[in-house]
Amino acid sequence: MSDIDIKRISYLAKLKLPSEKEEFYSNSLKDIIKWVDNLKKVDTKKIEPLHNVTEKTVSIRNDEVIKSNSVDDVLSNAPERAQNFFKVPKVVE
Amino acid sequence: MSNNWEMVIGLEVHAQLKTSSKLFSSSPNQFGSEPNENVNFIDSGMPGMLPVMNFGCIEMAIKTGYALNFKINKHSVFERKNYFYPDLPQGYQISQFEFPILSEGYINIESGDNQKKIRIERAHLEQDAGKSIHDIDPKYSFIDLNRVGTPLLEIVSYPDLSSADEVINYMSSLRQLLMYIDVCDGNMQEGSLRADVNLSVRKKGQELGTRCEIKNLNSFKFIKQAIEYEFQRQINIIDGGGEIEQNTMLFDTSTGETRAMRSKEFSHDYRYFPDPDLLPVNLTQEQIDKIKPLVGELPQDKLNKYIDNYSLDKDIAKIIIAEKQNANLFEKMISESTVKPKFIAAWLVGDIFAFIKENNLEVNSLNEKTKDITDLLRLISDDVISNKVGKEILPKVLNSEGKPSELVKELGLEQVSDSGELEKIIDEVLVGEEENILKFQGGSDRVLGYFVGKCLKATKGKGNPKLINKILLERLKK
Repeated sequence: MSDIDIKRISYLAKLKLPSEKEEFYSNSLKDIIKWVDNLKKVDTKKIEPLHNVTEKTVSIRNDEVIKSNSVDDVLSNAPERAQNFFKVPKVVE
Repeated sequence: MSNNWEMVIGLEVHAQLKTSSKLFSSSPNQFGSEPNENVNFIDSGMPGMLPVMNFGCIEMAIKTGYALNFKINKHSVFERKNYFYPDLPQGYQISQFEFPILSEGYINIESGDNQKKIRIERAHLEQDAGKSIHDIDPKYSFIDLNRVGTPLLEIVSYPDLSSADEVINYMSSLRQLLMYIDVCDGNMQEGSLRADVNLSVRKKGQELGTRCEIKNLNSFKFIKQAIEYEFQRQINIIDGGGEIEQNTMLFDTSTGETRAMRSKEFSHDYRYFPDPDLLPVNLTQEQIDKIKPLVGELPQDKLNKYIDNYSLDKDIAKIIIAEKQNANLFEKMISESTVKPKFIAAWLVGDIFAFIKENNLEVNSLNEKTKDITDLLRLISDDVISNKVGKEILPKVLNSEGKPSELVKELGLEQVSDSGELEKIIDEVLVGEEENILKFQGGSDRVLGYFVGKCLKATKGKGNPKLINKILLERLKK
């Protein structure tokens, strides 16, 4: 089993982890992976990967516009709003 | 200094598909609306909302497949590409990864005097993200989600390009094709077509170097600048004993420089997995075949047709096929008139395009006026008016100041093609020119031009030059 890079995982999950908790979470994740790794015992050499349990194809719609929500609907859960924009703490990559 | 270095470039082009609605929601797919106007709960990533596939996007992808010589895959799968950014409220972009809808295509581009085949690895459907505006407030970003869910076709080439000019040619050929098959409006300024450039350098004949990716270039000028800067930057690093770090770069349009964009602390990990909200796309051969006729004539087909059937010169044919609207205008004029296509083409790429350029018009705006234009060209080709007079009247016709035949009459510009009348004028011109007549008879051809000019002047430019020539020769040879 590969090692857990807990710092990287918390970065990807956007979670701030206090350093004294790192070992605890690292061990918990290791346990989970160990359990899931049981699946590796199954011999899948002759089995095609399955993307979905149904044989069906994606459901489609025609290319038509339906307006279902107003700007106010969409912004009603915004933590902060400025005119018709969402206003969020600055994130610049 | 950079003589023995070469660049190796692959391009990822994002083309916004010009459907009416978005890829997985029925919101309008429209540029320039008020902020967050074209957003519903699917686009804004509200919990429990389900994406529903827009078949129009599949149709456009298949058309692209035909135009770019792709293998059109009956089976493709949407996956989630996970990353966090405020203008991506779902927390993931729905894209295609392992099973794209199109694979292994190519187009031919011009490289110097030769054609070069550029192989295209794949093209897949995916969602566009929203827009963050960082410069309104020092502490906050303002988010507009209108663009969220806009259908994109990402077209990924192999690293077959080896100069900025080739990249420009490739990009403009792609743009031309996508516009011909009507799947993308090609408006780079509005971001309808943008390119990520993957560039590495190597000494000629050596193995591939480490590449850097320059993100989100949306004009031919910036693409060229960014490539030239990045090429030199990488050479300088290696010449200075350094190594190229694989990086995502941003092109700063104000300084003309590229710089690293993403934090290097942790590499990205998109954790792709099949989107459980969307079943695989399984197309039947019938569905695919049905779309083929919608592709229509491609630029190369038209070029061949213009040269073979209409006897156009290659250079002129190329100008006309460069944009679909040029070709449409040209073909409309041919279908409405009996004037020779070659004659129409010469006027189109000459005075008519010059008029469009001078007046900042859209080529399409002349579609209403084709009848008047060809009527005018008819008058010229029938020698009712001279070429020179035609050039004078053309702008009036294009400005809808009147019908060509009326304008000619009003302005009294009808060409004099009555030989009796012309003979009279010519005889008057020749009075007192005995010396020059002798010169001509002695073999000086230049004198003929002198006489023609004098006759044209005497007819105030309205004399039919061909007829004047003919009568003059008869008179002079006596």
